[in-house]
Amino acid sequence: MGQLSVIAIAIVFGAAFIAPWLHRRLGDKCGIVLGLVPLAAAVLYASMVPTIAAGGAVAFRSEWVPSLGLAFDLRIDGLSLLFLLLISGIGVFVTWYAAGYLHGKKDLGRFYLYLFGFMGSMLGVVSSDHLVALFVFWELTSISSYLLIGYYHTAARSRASALQALLVTGTGGLAMLAGILLLGRMAGTYRVSELNALDAAALVAQPGFAAVLVLILLGAFTKSAQFPFHFWLPNAMEAPAPVSSYLHSATMVKAGVFLLARLHPLLSASPLWMPIVAPVGAVTMLLGVAMGLGQRDLKKILAYTTLSVLGTLTMLLGIGTEAAVKAAMVYLLAHALYKAALFMCAGSIDHETGTRDPDAVGGLRRAMPFTAAAALLAGLSMAGFPALLGFVGKEYFYKALIATDGQGALWEILGVSASVAMFALAATAAWKPFFGPLLPTPKHPHEAPWTMWIGPILLGVAGLKAGLFPGISGGMLIAPSVHAVLGSADHEIAYKLWHGWTLALGLSGVTVALGIVLYLAAPRIRAASARFAVLGRLGPERCYELLLSGTLGFADWLTRTTQNGYLRNYLLTIFLFTAALVLWTLPSELSLPDSSALIPLQFLPVVVCLLIIAGAVAACLALSRFYAILALGVVGLGVGMLFFLFSGPDLAMTQILVETLALVLFVLAFYRLPLFSHYSKLGTKIRDGIIAAGFGVVMTLVVLAEMGAGGADMSVSKFMGESSLPLANGRNVVNVILVDFRALDTLGEITVLAIAALGVWAIMRLRPKNTEKGGDK
Amino acid sequence: MNSVILTTVGRLVAALLLIFSFFLLLRGHNLPGGGFAGGLVAAGAFVLVMLSEGVPTARRLLGVDPAKLLGIGLLVAMASGFPALFIGKPFLTGMWDKTVWPVLGKVGTPLVFDTGVYIVVLGVVCMIVFSLGGEDAED
Repeated sequence: MGQLSVIAIAIVFGAAFIAPWLHRRLGDKCGIVLGLVPLAAAVLYASMVPTIAAGGAVAFRSEWVPSLGLAFDLRIDGLSLLFLLLISGIGVFVTWYAAGYLHGKKDLGRFYLYLFGFMGSMLGVVSSDHLVALFVFWELTSISSYLLIGYYHTAARSRASALQALLVTGTGGLAMLAGILLLGRMAGTYRVSELNALDAAALVAQPGFAAVLVLILLGAFTKSAQFPFHFWLPNAMEAPAPVSSYLHSATMVKAGVFLLARLHPLLSASPLWMPIVAPVGAVTMLLGVAMGLGQRDLKKILAYTTLSVLGTLTMLLGIGTEAAVKAAMVYLLAHALYKAALFMCAGSIDHETGTRDPDAVGGLRRAMPFTAAAALLAGLSMAGFPALLGFVGKEYFYKALIATDGQGALWEILGVSASVAMFALAATAAWKPFFGPLLPTPKHPHEAPWTMWIGPILLGVAGLKAGLFPGISGGMLIAPSVHAVLGSADHEIAYKLWHGWTLALGLSGVTVALGIVLYLAAPRIRAASARFAVLGRLGPERCYELLLSGTLGFADWLTRTTQNGYLRNYLLTIFLFTAALVLWTLPSELSLPDSSALIPLQFLPVVVCLLIIAGAVAACLALSRFYAILALGVVGLGVGMLFFLFSGPDLAMTQILVETLALVLFVLAFYRLPLFSHYSKLGTKIRDGIIAAGFGVVMTLVVLAEMGAGGADMSVSKFMGESSLPLANGRNVVNVILVDFRALDTLGEITVLAIAALGVWAIMRLRPKNTEKGGDK
Repeated sequence: MNSVILTTVGRLVAALLLIFSFFLLLRGHNLPGGGFAGGLVAAGAFVLVMLSEGVPTARRLLGVDPAKLLGIGLLVAMASGFPALFIGKPFLTGMWDKTVWPVLGKVGTPLVFDTGVYIVVLGVVCMIVFSLGGEDAED
């Protein structure tokens, strides 16, 4: 069964790559076919339900980089399965929905490429058992969501939002990587299942664990848009509706919550867990609904309620009691179902009427009956109406808060206020557009195609069914995931819709009553909120903007200072830096060789050396480029001759060939250069002379030192010389090193060569065009 | 550069240079030579044609876009690394056929690798020289 977990991920990634081709063949219909892929994955995952409900886990292992101890480990337990089913199941509807929403778009194939890439990465995140693999998939979700959010890439706002999401989640991801590496070193394993089985108290007591906790939390908080990193999520609403529906219901933003739940058994043992996680979650929960009340855009309203729910989940995991974890899992499932449906409905309203302002739409129930029914089901679940899963979730939420010790009634007050606002926002998003008088809209409203309402309807029905029969989903999905989060299976978990006349039920009643009042006041709040818009400019988003522009400014300054574009300056820097480094280390090692180690002067080499020196001097004194080039040719050929004399025929041959071609290149480049117009000043010449001579002296010292300290270490040369024939079938050691012993290096070198050639080609291609343009103007 | 002598002799010498470059490539494993030197000599042949008869002729005689040579060469060099993987050896481990073929001598993956190097070097030099000596710099 382990292979199934890999196959499911593989078919989704596979679908990503054939999507553009399929779109060319089938046009808009490709979405309907592609929807079968996540459906197949969902079926595969569903087949694991019995095993996992019985307390088992599905594992797959394949060595990845054995020498580094990295393995591709997948392990699916209750928590993973809950997410896997949500990701693949909602994935089906999102794929179909996109076929309707984006129909006729030329780059729909590209969209599906990103969407399935994202889907596969998400599946990878939640099924990885190895933290490094989890990180890799995590970053893949950041990158693919960047592409998805920026799908309307011609709009500047869309691009900026995508970049913001990438930078915020990517920075958090880097912090998380640091945390993972520290944790791995401390615990001696990167496997999640092993980490969670460790003696958490002992590990947590180690010095430096606080750093691990904070770094990993940074990753989770940025991904799940917790305060103060919340601002990227509402901005990401620039994305098309299917993307919002997918990213903000069951996937991207839940990844952070998933990580908190995944490492809960280990991390929650830290005394810092609750004081950090629970308050951050609580602030996000309240901030989300408070800001949501002021929005005049259905999608933004939904985005802020998502923020609030993420805060709630984080808070519950932060509290971390059995009741809280139970509540978190039910709430998570309920939210994924209703939020995906509502985002799709909001998208349909936008698509069919041309506006997303809740005050501008109304009475659409006749024009869009299916969408209205779906929105109503989902909205009731969101509001926490009895008989829907959202109600069950809210009941458990209240029960968990009531059961939490300390702080008096603080938790209950926080929870109820958030739920009241949630109720009002649910009514705004799901009731207001469809009921009441029909309002005129930019487009004449009519029902969306079936691809766009089938998903929301089914998701809404699923929420109703799970609410009416909580025992089924509870036993199959919720209980195993709660066990996984708590790290043990000895909890009795029963799910009921009806708990009797409890305090939680009383709080629910209060919530509905206050919620209706708040809903009626909502239009006035929206109207008043414009006056507070200025407050938004002072929040953490301002910090992000300052940081971003500051970094760009610094990079700009640094580039302009260090990359001045003059070859002579680069050469000076290289020479001076190398000389300084050598002079710093050399004196301690310098012992000049005695004269017996040196070869006595011979006639021919001396003559060649004199030639080289003469060439160099002539090149410096030459009054035209042509003479300088010729003189440099003398230097190069002289060096080639020295190689010959000291028995390096390969080197000599290559040197002479390169020298010849370099001469040709010089002459060709020559055509394009202006004449020597001004010469260096005397001061510059003296400076350059001193540097050149000094560098020569330094290099001579290096050579002497190499020979001095007991002769150079010849063991490598000896090994190469002796084993080139027996091991590599070749007598020419130089060539054997190039093509056999160090072939990988050579492969790298020829790749660099090829890139350099492309660079030259590009420069030569682009330049004449630019001058032509300039001439035209 | 309209020199009758250069034009007349150019092609002849270029042909000789090409043959010499193959010779260097094949003997490289045992005697001075190899893909890098061979590639440079082959490039020299086309540079000579370019100098005597201009870039278009040199391009035509080369027959392949130098940019394609870069890709082909890299692929050939990389492909020579894969056979070793099938018998569980690390990537790019040399594998030899012991028979001695006429002209080629012993054949093995390092020779294929060297051929890749040869093609890349030929492509790189031709690409740079052709674009520097670009059509507009002619006549």
